[in-house]
Amino acid sequence: MFGYPLVNVLGACLIITSMMVVLARTGRAAACLYSLQSLVLVGVLASLGAVTGSTELFTWSATAFATKVVLVPAILLYTLKKIGSDAQADLPPRMNPMKSVALVAVEVFVCFVVVSGIDLPTADAALPTLAVSLAHFFIGLTCIVIQRSIFKQIFGYCLMENGSHVTLALLAPQAPELVEIGVATDAIFAVIILAVLVCRMARYTHTLDADDLCELKG
Amino acid sequence: MSIVVALLQAVLLVALAPLVSGIARKIRAKMHAREGASALQDYYDLAKLWHRCEVREGGSGLVSRAMPPVFLGCFILIAAGLPLAMQACPIPILGDIITILYLMALPRFMFSLASIDSAGSYTAIGGIRELLVGVLVEPSLMLVLFVMAVAVGSTNVGIMANAVATLQAYPMVAVVVAAVACAMACYIEMGKLPFDLAEAEQEIQEGPLAAYSGPSLAMLKLGVSLKQLVVASLFVAIFVPFGAAAAAGPLDILIGFIVYLVKVLVVFLLASVIENSVMRVRYKLLGRYTWFVVGIASLSLVFLVIGI
Repeated sequence: MFGYPLVNVLGACLIITSMMVVLARTGRAAACLYSLQSLVLVGVLASLGAVTGSTELFTWSATAFATKVVLVPAILLYTLKKIGSDAQADLPPRMNPMKSVALVAVEVFVCFVVVSGIDLPTADAALPTLAVSLAHFFIGLTCIVIQRSIFKQIFGYCLMENGSHVTLALLAPQAPELVEIGVATDAIFAVIILAVLVCRMARYTHTLDADDLCELKG
Repeated sequence: MSIVVALLQAVLLVALAPLVSGIARKIRAKMHAREGASALQDYYDLAKLWHRCEVREGGSGLVSRAMPPVFLGCFILIAAGLPLAMQACPIPILGDIITILYLMALPRFMFSLASIDSAGSYTAIGGIRELLVGVLVEPSLMLVLFVMAVAVGSTNVGIMANAVATLQAYPMVAVVVAAVACAMACYIEMGKLPFDLAEAEQEIQEGPLAAYSGPSLAMLKLGVSLKQLVVASLFVAIFVPFGAAAAAGPLDILIGFIVYLVKVLVVFLLASVIENSVMRVRYKLLGRYTWFVVGIASLSLVFLVIGI
């Protein structure tokens, strides 16, 4: 049960939690579920660290816990509070969200077909997790495409970011802490900038509907 | 010995089906803050209907006459074949998923045929509704059972139950996700809210029921409640086989039966609580919910393929 099977099971949990983020009705629930997903991500990093014996991965998981489980959801919840209720942060998505589950399944399958040709430096046993991490890029893209609320589109970016984090951990488990700092700060600053943008748009236009915002200028 | 168990569980399920539906109705009444009819009310209804004479619609043919016994008989057959008390099928030939799926499709087919055969104008609408539920749910159920068959290496439900009970079904996450999808599909098949309410608006929801009377109606009513119990048992048998007898000793089987009854009661309790906390959807919107089940089922297939 321990070792690579555990990594793979946690990878599957990543898919399930990211699907829940996409399906969440309210922005608040999405932020909480994103925090949960990041916790699973921390689990993946820590278990990978235990399997490969790389001490760097443990520090990665610690920083990921501080930034992604605590800080990013806190920023998003604070943004939601700032926006208030008049800007419709909880707009329903463009597509029936139930269909997106089938879409996610197809994406994971396609990603598995793609990565099955890759020779992984860590181990072949973690190939499903690599597919999962690659699939997160597409899940994030799905989230951005199907959501109308620009606040919920931020979660699409965050999911992609989590995916790239896992990919990095799988492909370069011995990478120095500097790289990880780059990834973590990248996530925080991007989310802060997006949150500020969302706040200002909500203040000026009183809507977060991407369809209504297509004529924004300067 | 196994034949005896098969007969015993078929008789037990038929005898318990009205009680279970009575309990479900009692729970609904309690949740509505009503007193409600007795939990044994279904037995009284069946006894009353059994003594009534049968009235047939003019112009209805053989299909209408054959439908009630076929409907009831198919579910009794499934009940006899499921691994309920033991972790193996009492009659292996009836415990094959292909047989089970066809035995579940046959009553539906007969039901919709009878709805066309009837002279009433509402029955066809009810038949279409029943078929629609089948078309939307059956693929997910098939997919889930297929995933289990590949994960375990056999299409026999008993071997699936044994593999799950000993935690040997290989891609674990795939099996767990399949269990979630199967629970949803079975819930819809049970004909509970928000998808259906078997006893309300008979002329629309369970179309042909309006055209029957006397013993035929009794058989159909018993069949509908037996269907709920059988579908719940199918889920319990495959995905929650813990506590079922691994050996074929009489005491083991007795304990298995008791554990099975507890499990199925818990399932019905949960189903009743869910049923009473949602409102009914229009059947045109049914597809939205079933897409979710299809999605979860295909996710389990993908997890099976990538091996987690």
